[in-house]
Amino acid sequence: MHPYRYHRPGSLAEAEEVLAGDGDPRPLAGGMSLIPVMKHRLAAPSDLVDLAAIGGLTGITVEPATLGIRAMTRHAAVAASPSVRERIPALAALAGGIGDPLVRNRGTIGGSLANNDPAACYPSAVLALDAEIVTAGRRIPADNFFLGLFETALEPGELIVEVRFPVPAAASYRKFPNPASRFSVVGVFVARLADGAVRVAVTGAGPCVFRVKAFERALAASFAPGALADLSVAADGLTSDIHGSAAYRAHLIGVLAEDAVADCA
Amino acid sequence: MYFGQRLTRREDDKFLKGRGRFVDDIEPAGTAHIAFVRSPHAHARIRGIDAAPARALPGVLRVLTAADWQAAGLGALTCVHPMPFSDGRPMNEELRPALASGKVHHVGDVVAAVVAEDRYAALDGADAVAVDYEALPAVTDIARSLDEDAPVLHQRFGSNLVFEIERGDRAATAAVFDAAHHVVALTLDTHRVAGCPLEPRAYLSRFDEATEDITLWATSQTPHYLRRWLAKYALGVPEHKLRVISPDVGGGFGLKTHFAVEVSTVVWASILLGRPVKWTSTRAEALMSDAQARDHHTRARMAFDRDGRILALEVDTIAALGAYLSNFAPSIPGNSYPQTVTGLYTTPNLHLRVRGAYTNTVPIDAYRGSGRPEATFVNERLLENGARELGIDVAEIRRRNLIPAEAFPYTTPVGRAYDCGDPPALFDKLLEIAGYEGLRAEQRRLGDRGVRMGIGIACFLDKSGTGSSRNLASRGGLHGGYESAIVRIHSDGRATVFVGSHSHGQGHDTTFCQIAADRLGLPIEDIALVEGDTGSIPFGNGTWGSRSLSVGGVAIMQAADRVIDKARRLAAHMLECAEEDLLYENAVFSVRGTDRLLGFADVADAAYHGAVLPADGSMEPGLEETVFYEPPDTNDPQAMHLAVVLVEPRSGKVTVRDYFTADDCGNIVNPLIVEGQVVGGLAQGLGQALMERVVYDGGAAGQLFSGTLMDYALPRASDMPGVRMTFQETPAPSNPLGVKGGSETGTIGAPAAIGNAVVDALWDLGVRHVRQPFTPDAVWHSLEDAAG
Repeated sequence: MHPYRYHRPGSLAEAEEVLAGDGDPRPLAGGMSLIPVMKHRLAAPSDLVDLAAIGGLTGITVEPATLGIRAMTRHAAVAASPSVRERIPALAALAGGIGDPLVRNRGTIGGSLANNDPAACYPSAVLALDAEIVTAGRRIPADNFFLGLFETALEPGELIVEVRFPVPAAASYRKFPNPASRFSVVGVFVARLADGAVRVAVTGAGPCVFRVKAFERALAASFAPGALADLSVAADGLTSDIHGSAAYRAHLIGVLAEDAVADCA
Repeated sequence: MYFGQRLTRREDDKFLKGRGRFVDDIEPAGTAHIAFVRSPHAHARIRGIDAAPARALPGVLRVLTAADWQAAGLGALTCVHPMPFSDGRPMNEELRPALASGKVHHVGDVVAAVVAEDRYAALDGADAVAVDYEALPAVTDIARSLDEDAPVLHQRFGSNLVFEIERGDRAATAAVFDAAHHVVALTLDTHRVAGCPLEPRAYLSRFDEATEDITLWATSQTPHYLRRWLAKYALGVPEHKLRVISPDVGGGFGLKTHFAVEVSTVVWASILLGRPVKWTSTRAEALMSDAQARDHHTRARMAFDRDGRILALEVDTIAALGAYLSNFAPSIPGNSYPQTVTGLYTTPNLHLRVRGAYTNTVPIDAYRGSGRPEATFVNERLLENGARELGIDVAEIRRRNLIPAEAFPYTTPVGRAYDCGDPPALFDKLLEIAGYEGLRAEQRRLGDRGVRMGIGIACFLDKSGTGSSRNLASRGGLHGGYESAIVRIHSDGRATVFVGSHSHGQGHDTTFCQIAADRLGLPIEDIALVEGDTGSIPFGNGTWGSRSLSVGGVAIMQAADRVIDKARRLAAHMLECAEEDLLYENAVFSVRGTDRLLGFADVADAAYHGAVLPADGSMEPGLEETVFYEPPDTNDPQAMHLAVVLVEPRSGKVTVRDYFTADDCGNIVNPLIVEGQVVGGLAQGLGQALMERVVYDGGAAGQLFSGTLMDYALPRASDMPGVRMTFQETPAPSNPLGVKGGSETGTIGAPAAIGNAVVDALWDLGVRHVRQPFTPDAVWHSLEDAAG
């Protein structure tokens, strides 16, 4: 690890001020991605802005049709939350399957989304559930948030404060975990929203989470596993790595989507 | 008697409470730290090294390169088990350099070392060393290593060939194949894996300027070898001025045996600087520098008669040895592999060719199993495919081919003689605990419901104990096969046992003291064990090749027996009786037919006081014996595995549901420890079968893809099936304890048994083989290929 200055601001405004400063300051949420990269000396931020002491950034709020999860809420808290388990059980299950217990007790939803790892689980839920990313200054619809490999719509220094999930009619997340890291080789989140719209989001398979519109159209017409029988995802552009070829990933998307739809029945 | 008792391990209390003492726990005042500059290229010419920017950094004490090493006139790391060509020519030997000069040959090759006041400064220094590389095309795929157009690592050999051996009879075997009723042919690769001990390697060297003594604390399975290698081959320091201490060691599996690339430089730096110097490997360094294992490309055929009897085996293997030759590397495909490839079957004809080859990869060396997993995979996969193609049940075909008990000692087509055993009886035990017929019935029932269950078996031979030094030398070994032990009785009658093996998790403190306690007639609490210190132990060939018990254990037994012989002479003198009239039980000598008694502690006290010894000087004071025990032969443990898997054809996912093992490792001193060894080995075998894999980009760049544990997949507790074990104890004839090695069978059998089970589950879909490891991706691709 290279040397850096450590900050622990008590307010968002203070954090944003340091993050707007010179050098290469970086916000620190759970640190489950950033700290290992720093330990490998592959990242060398000049300043770390620890968000843990900022008030009001943790917790889950329940509204009639929406769940709001504050950005610094740990995966373990989401997994264990009775509100989440009751209203969006697929989201609680997703959180409970991230990494390992150490990661789940440190990692945060805001950190995961801001990082936008191509194999992270949360982006698929946000995209499939049509959630909103709330920052200090604006609300970003999920469809506009994930831009590419580790790239989001956040401006430099802009911090997520909350993620707002519409409560769906039904949803399920199916993940094929990387046997080493427990990131997704492929993860498929299927959601039938309250208004009847169906959204299918895939993580792990490409450089960035994406929707499978062909699946969505078929499922909107008939929300049953058989609706996907004749459909497939092209392997072009999908990831090939030591855990799976692009062809295998394309195949898995279909398998997991079918399973997820079956879960919703 | 402690022999045979399930004692819990005495050493575990300290480990479970975090009170173990490992190399990295030790840090004398003034310790400097070293960081290594490693090649980012698989193959490159070094055009220049500019160390000036590193030297200019605060805290940097010294930068060392190959030029410094050569200027100091230092030697080389060594390969202690060379393998000549079959025609007698010496192998093409390129030793691993402590610091690469001229060219680098694998990602992670060491180019320079930076010594600094602390670890941060050392790492900053390493980053600042500017190395000018000219990248060269690399070859990392063993199957391509000997192709005409493959990049050549070491130009002076003209190709990447290290050695080529042939065993058995080519012409006779070919004739048998031509006339055989049925032939199975498969490509049976065993992929490369990395041993991943929980504790990474670490070295701390302290040079005492006043006495010029060097003390090296090292994570070593073989501290005496390490001292000898450093003294004799690398640094030329006098052996009596170098003390190697191997404190608690957290796992090794072989790779802490080897003369690793970093250790010489750590010792050398401590001499240059006159202060302690330390290096502790990171996990990422371990995955690019610790010796790796397996990596065979094999085409093989098996010939059968109409009844499924094996007529002949033909094997053609290219075995990776990495970029340079590590210590024992050539002997793994050169000795262990051919000697075990026909396993436990009467295979009358064999022809085997092995070509060792260089690739731009981390050097290969011994890792738990070492040659036998590769051999067993070849033999067992061919046999089960043959059974299915001939319509014979896989258990029945084994009954027709297993070596019968009366055939032992059994000589294989390569000339190795297996000592003893009863494979058919062991096989019956395996099938009994597994409930084989019931499993087949369940498989049919589940099949009707669309659930694909597979059953796979592997029967195989381990080889352990390493045998006599003469025997090792006859196969090229430049190291011994004996072991030394001291049994020292203290003046209070308690004992310290010193032995040249070294426990890195095997439970020696318990097993060895059980043996010593039985022979000395003392309670085990009165015995302490010392291992891992060249300052107090005469010599040791160390712990590897499942040799500790059958060699070191016997040395302890013999030293203890000699102690009791002397104590008996002294007791007879003190009790004024003939030695033959003495009984010795529960630490008390008594004169037969009388009430005269003398406690062992009183005899020890007298031995050290010295005053009551025979006046004629016929007995020396003290009560301590040293034994160097040379074993007459190796021993041949045998084991059989049965795996039950569930395969999901849609995703390709394999779950090992149940696992059954039957081991014959001779007499068992401590069943609890042996069971632990079986399960531990099995976890690594299952890891190899299902998920562990070192991956290099197969193209010209040769980059390492499995560089961290985020990509190199180790099995976890949740991946392990329930394991049921059974044992058969056929005493080894070559040692008085009747013991054999019992710690490697898990890694040997699991890839074959699980592989056979996966193919069993998918046979009717046309799958005839799945490449290792049996990842979901690999299984799915096999299904796609079978579907055409």
